[in-house]
Amino acid sequence: MPFHRRELIQGAITAGTASIVAASPSELPAAIPMPPKVVDTNVSLFQWPFRRLPLDNVDDLCATLQQLGITEAWAGSFESLLHRDIRACNERLAKACQIRAELIPVGAVNPTLPDWQHDLKLCLGRYAMPGVRLLPGYHGYTLNDEIFGQLLATATELGGFVQVAVAMEDTRTQSHSVQAPNVDPQPLKHWMQKIPQARVQILNCRPSTSDRQTFASIPRLTLDTSRVDGTDGVATLVNAVGADRLLYGSHAPFLIPEAACIRMLETGVSAADVQLIMQENAARFRDAKSPPAEHQPR
Amino acid sequence: MNFGLPSAETLRKYRIWDAYFTPAFSHPGSDGSRNLINEIQRSMPAVRLGQFEKLCYFAHVGIGTTTDSRLEQLLQAKPELVLNPMKRWPNRLLGMIQLNLQNTASSLEALTQWLQEGPMLGAYFPGSGPGAANCLDPKVSQLVERVAELDGVIMQHTWLKTGGKRSPHESTPAELATLASRYPKQRFICAHAGGEWEQGIRAVRDSPNILIETSGFDATAGFIEMATRELGSKRIVFGSHLPSRSLGTELSKVISAQISEAEKKDILGGNYRKLLNVIQARK
Repeated sequence: MPFHRRELIQGAITAGTASIVAASPSELPAAIPMPPKVVDTNVSLFQWPFRRLPLDNVDDLCATLQQLGITEAWAGSFESLLHRDIRACNERLAKACQIRAELIPVGAVNPTLPDWQHDLKLCLGRYAMPGVRLLPGYHGYTLNDEIFGQLLATATELGGFVQVAVAMEDTRTQSHSVQAPNVDPQPLKHWMQKIPQARVQILNCRPSTSDRQTFASIPRLTLDTSRVDGTDGVATLVNAVGADRLLYGSHAPFLIPEAACIRMLETGVSAADVQLIMQENAARFRDAKSPPAEHQPR
Repeated sequence: MNFGLPSAETLRKYRIWDAYFTPAFSHPGSDGSRNLINEIQRSMPAVRLGQFEKLCYFAHVGIGTTTDSRLEQLLQAKPELVLNPMKRWPNRLLGMIQLNLQNTASSLEALTQWLQEGPMLGAYFPGSGPGAANCLDPKVSQLVERVAELDGVIMQHTWLKTGGKRSPHESTPAELATLASRYPKQRFICAHAGGEWEQGIRAVRDSPNILIETSGFDATAGFIEMATRELGSKRIVFGSHLPSRSLGTELSKVISAQISEAEKKDILGGNYRKLLNVIQARK
């Protein structure tokens, strides 16, 4: 053999002994302080339809978020995936958030239901929600559909943002009887040009190289970090679209909330960008009230 | 806790051994190791942040596990290239070899060269690429028997996909359970717990010689809790899938699970160390 097996074995595979090689400070990711206020833009309340989750009790979820240093969480409702009585879902969501200052309700609208405009007005009016969350894969439409443009324009007129969940879980692990396709974000390029005041955030995307190119080409589009995987995945996305367009999100309690949080430390983005992503961008996105839209969809 | 991560001291106490480290998993680089070395370096900030003790990667050894014929020839002519990562990180890396399940003769030779006479500790049975075959393919049996003779560990790639297999060469946890029932003394690792872990865990529950590995899918909550309840913590091994997955995704599955600290220690390293004990003792 052209190599010395014993030498390698001695070094590489000594069983049962700790062999940590001490890392110098420069070899470790930079010590980054947790921002004083952290906004998780992507959590959901109540029960996931397909299994119980360890944190699907609102109190447990809030306790864990607090432990992680999350000071504000934008909450949708798992009920809205499959329920048709969306108004009742949104009412329960609003009520649950009323008694917890850290939870900001983001109701759902299903534009394939009759009189969806009523749900939208309730969310952005009576329930005082800052935006709405859409689930096109589960509600049976695409972002190419005219109805999506109508909804985006109306939400913008009413001063609300729109979150688009392009997925809720990996298509490979979905229930055999309820399969929701991933949502193609490409048509957003058209709508964001047509409705220049629109505020849109993509949720739950695990971006491919082509997704990153798509997102970079769509002005003002923002994204959450919940499924941005790879040890340097967030940093790669920052390089592609800019740190000012990423908003921290965990997709808890479906995903373990610590996962997205650890990634912010692991990924090698600067402390200034962490501050933007975990705090400032969300505040800016939420508070940028849309003035009345000048451009209406067809 | 900082950003959801326990203190460095707590992490060190877990003694983390990563059973599924995947730098340059499909191709180590045209010179035999450049991409591999680069991807290991890319992973090191996360490895150090997580205080990992050991990482087990899956080496290509020139038996047709890539589609690059020049690379395959190079690795055959200069097998020492395979060891470059282990020479660079002798205290950190462990290795297994990727087998070509379509080429029994070459794989058998490689097992002798790398497990019996070399430093490798087991074999990876792929689910995709030119070396893949379903684990119940008759060609696989001879390879299982040879790994068993050498006291090696078998890491079988598994995924159970909604909508069915994308390739006939993929294996499911249920198929691995069938294979494992034929070799009750051999230990198998069910990589990714089948991906769709609720069924994957059930499929291997009655196969005591199968352990599940934790990486390769989103940080879906409840996985480790169910696995610990159904299999016990002694039948679960941690994998990082770095660098294509993240420390956040993979480590959080275990450290945030609602299980005891002793169970976390089992999963994060104790079980894997025990699994490797036999072949390491032989060497």
